[in-house]
Order: sequence, then C-alpha cells, then structure tokens
Amino acid sequence: MAENKRFLIAVNGTEASTKALNYFGALFGPAKDIECILLNIYPAPPPHYYQSGKSLPDYQLEKEKGAQTIFQGSEDILIQHGISPEIIKTKCVMAENKTISQVILDSREEVDCGTIVVGKRGVSKAEEFLFGSISSNLIHQNNNFAVWVVG
Amino acid sequence: MEITDLPPDIARKLKFHRVTRSIRRTPNIFADTSDFTSIDYGDVLVVDDRYLLVTGYTKEGRFGVDEQVKQWVPRTEDLDSGQKQIVKLVFHETFEITLGQFTITCFRNPEKEASILELVKDHPHFMQGYGALDGADNLVRILDIILGSRLDRYIHKGPESHEQYFVEKLPVILKQYLKCLEGIGMLHKNGFRHGDIRRDHILVEYDTELFRWIDFDYDFYLPEKPFGLDMYELGNILVYLVARDDFQPRSILEHPEMGQEILDTIEDGDLSLLSQNKVTNLAKLFPYVPKSLNTILMHFSRSAPVFYETVDEMYSDLGEVVDRMG
Repeated sequence: MAENKRFLIAVNGTEASTKALNYFGALFGPAKDIECILLNIYPAPPPHYYQSGKSLPDYQLEKEKGAQTIFQGSEDILIQHGISPEIIKTKCVMAENKTISQVILDSREEVDCGTIVVGKRGVSKAEEFLFGSISSNLIHQNNNFAVWVVG
Repeated sequence: MEITDLPPDIARKLKFHRVTRSIRRTPNIFADTSDFTSIDYGDVLVVDDRYLLVTGYTKEGRFGVDEQVKQWVPRTEDLDSGQKQIVKLVFHETFEITLGQFTITCFRNPEKEASILELVKDHPHFMQGYGALDGADNLVRILDIILGSRLDRYIHKGPESHEQYFVEKLPVILKQYLKCLEGIGMLHKNGFRHGDIRRDHILVEYDTELFRWIDFDYDFYLPEKPFGLDMYELGNILVYLVARDDFQPRSILEHPEMGQEILDTIEDGDLSLLSQNKVTNLAKLFPYVPKSLNTILMHFSRSAPVFYETVDEMYSDLGEVVDRMG
C-alpha cells in the first residue's frame, strides 16, 4: 500500500485546480503529519512548434517558469488554510509520449503517494470523447491508491 | 541545377518527352524543392538520384468545395524508368478544423507520413511509397499511384434502392472496411495517427477492389486522447457506409420514403456526437438495420453511454456483425 499520508495534488492554475486545493486545505488545514506534493504537468510541444524554429529547451524553460507561478499560487492557497509550507513539495514534469493522466500515475508511483487529488473540469460528453478526461482516466486506472476528484 | 548538369541520356529523354515538347520554355531542374510554388509543369525534380518530370498535379476537394490543384503534390514520370508516381513536397501548413463546437489545430507532418510509409510497406490496405531527402533536406514522399475509385463514389455504383444495397453490397463493403480498421489499429499501436480519416481517403482499387488508405500527412494535437479524432472519423465513415449517404433532418423530410413521419421520431440522442444534425440512429431510418449494427453506430451518437476507446473494440464488434450478415 502506498504511503497514506502523502498526497499528490495535480495543479495547473485553473479554477478546477483551485477548487481541489481549497478542498484539500479545508480538510487538512492544521495537520502537520502529512506531506503534499504539488504536481504540474505540461504536454510535450506540438510537433508544429519546431517548425517555427524554436527548440525544446526554449519550450521547457517557458513551461517551467509558468509552473513556478502556478506552484506559488497553489502554495498560497494551502498556506491560507493553515498548511505548513514545510510539508509542501513541488514537481514539474513534461508529458513526453504519454498522456497527462499517465504521467500523474507514473509520478504517484515514483513518489509513493497514497492519494491523488485532482480538480474536475466538468467536460461534456463530446469533449470527453474528443479530448479525453484526465479525471476519468485516473479513476479507471487506479489500483491500490485513492483518487479524489474534486468537482 | 541546370539542364546541362543532367546525365546525357536523361537530358535526351527530357528533350524529346511529349511534356517538354508541349511547353514553350526551358524546363527548370530542382534539386531543392523548398519553394514548391516555383515548380511548374515540365520541370524536373531531382530526388533520390532520380529525375522526375512533372507531368501534372493532383487535385482534392473538401466537401462542398470544388476540387483544387495541390501544387505541392505533382504527378511525375521517372525519366529513366518511365515509372509514373506522385510526389509530395514539404508544405508546412497549420490550420484549424471545426467539429461541432470544438476547434482542433491540425498541421502537415511529412516526417509522420514518411514513417508510416515505412511501417506499412507491402501492406495491402495502405498506399505505398517512401520518403527521401531532396538536396535541401526536405523530406519528399514518392508515392505509387493507386488506380481506383474514392470509397464515397464506389458505394454508389450498383443497386438503386438502399435495401438492396444493404443486403447485397454492404456486407462485402464492411468486410473490406474491417481491414481498414485493422490497418488504423496497427498505426495506433505503433503510436501514429492517420490524421485525416475521411471517406474519400480510402481508395477502392479497380482491379482488386481492395480498400486502401491514402494521405496520412495530416496530424493533430490532442495530448490526452491522441487517437480520439481518428476514432470519431472511423465511426463517421461507418455511419456513411451503412446509410449510403449523410442524413440530416432536412434530407429525411425530403426523402420520398421517409418524410415528416420519420423525422418526428428523431430525438437529440439520435444525432451524431460531434457533427451537427447528422443522424446516427439509422435503425429509425432503415428498419432492416440490425440492432447489433445500430448499437455500434450509436457509440458515436449524443446518447452514447460509452465510447470506443480503441479501434480493436470497434473492430471486434463490427466483425461479429459482419459475420452474421454473411
């Protein structure tokens, strides 16, 4: 069984992600015996990105800079709920040849978390068919750990 | 490169070729095809140590739009062997397609098409050819010409009535379509999308009646569901094959055997998930469509409780139906 007191919270600066952070913060506000890892995943550059003459390091630098801003905002939300900054860690990963949901699953395994926390975007049926749903994919693939989808 | 740089036998063949004699200018020789707009009828492309005379251009029409010349896809004749082929020059184009309320960014991906050509070498259900770099490292694709009919035209040959078509012709068509599904499944398993699955991107070869996929240089970017658009379009083709047409409320109303009575039975859930107003629940239009086949079609409707996640799932369901159709 994965570490029960370690939580992986997927963050991307959206309203759904803010909801998940607020939910988590309200639930665990004063707790000190937990650990939470904020995870930001960005997709690999679309193939046509390279056609403009830009390179992968340019792209990664831009995305990782964006992730720092997202982490800062996410930490602020948790801290407002009384979560100590000492128990917050961050992780930023590019999804290379993998879906975002697969990278979340891989990251969970890597850091040995018992629970994944994600926000729910509330996609339509057509949107899910075409673009997929990260939360649906996580729910269908979880095993031996918990997935909290905060709507 | 100049004509004087050509090997003497090639220069001689060029000089006396009917195409050269029909133009009133000296042909240009292109080892670098970067600026394909400057390449014209009668010019020669030098790729892969071959001398390919431009003898014409391919055309393509989007639905509702007249056929347009694709200047980056010339028809050619090898001045040495006489082999006629199609050459696809590099054209980096990015554009957006609209599906219902969604917009998807698409782009041309020559590398992907060249990789697929390698993967599907000798596969009977894909166009054949190979990728080669020109003198400026442009990845040109040299393709064999398929003598065949577009699938959407092929299905209109033969029986007049839909019921007769359904009973006599559709089982054979679906058997071939299953092979096409298998082919796309193979691409997906290898991490490739077709990228532009359309009913006119299957050619039915005249002599063998084999269905063959063409044109896989389009690509799209859907990182969480990389094959979603391909899946949707496979369903779209299936609906078209079964109905032998697209049916919208207006066409139902105007159809001599349908009209208002049938139209009144159509509900929102009977329509396509993404194509506005296209009817997917064909059992309501054609009562002889078996439930098992209609259930497959309904996976692409607005009332679908579940979707096909992989081509294999769709292939398996359709295979069972086709076996029963005989």
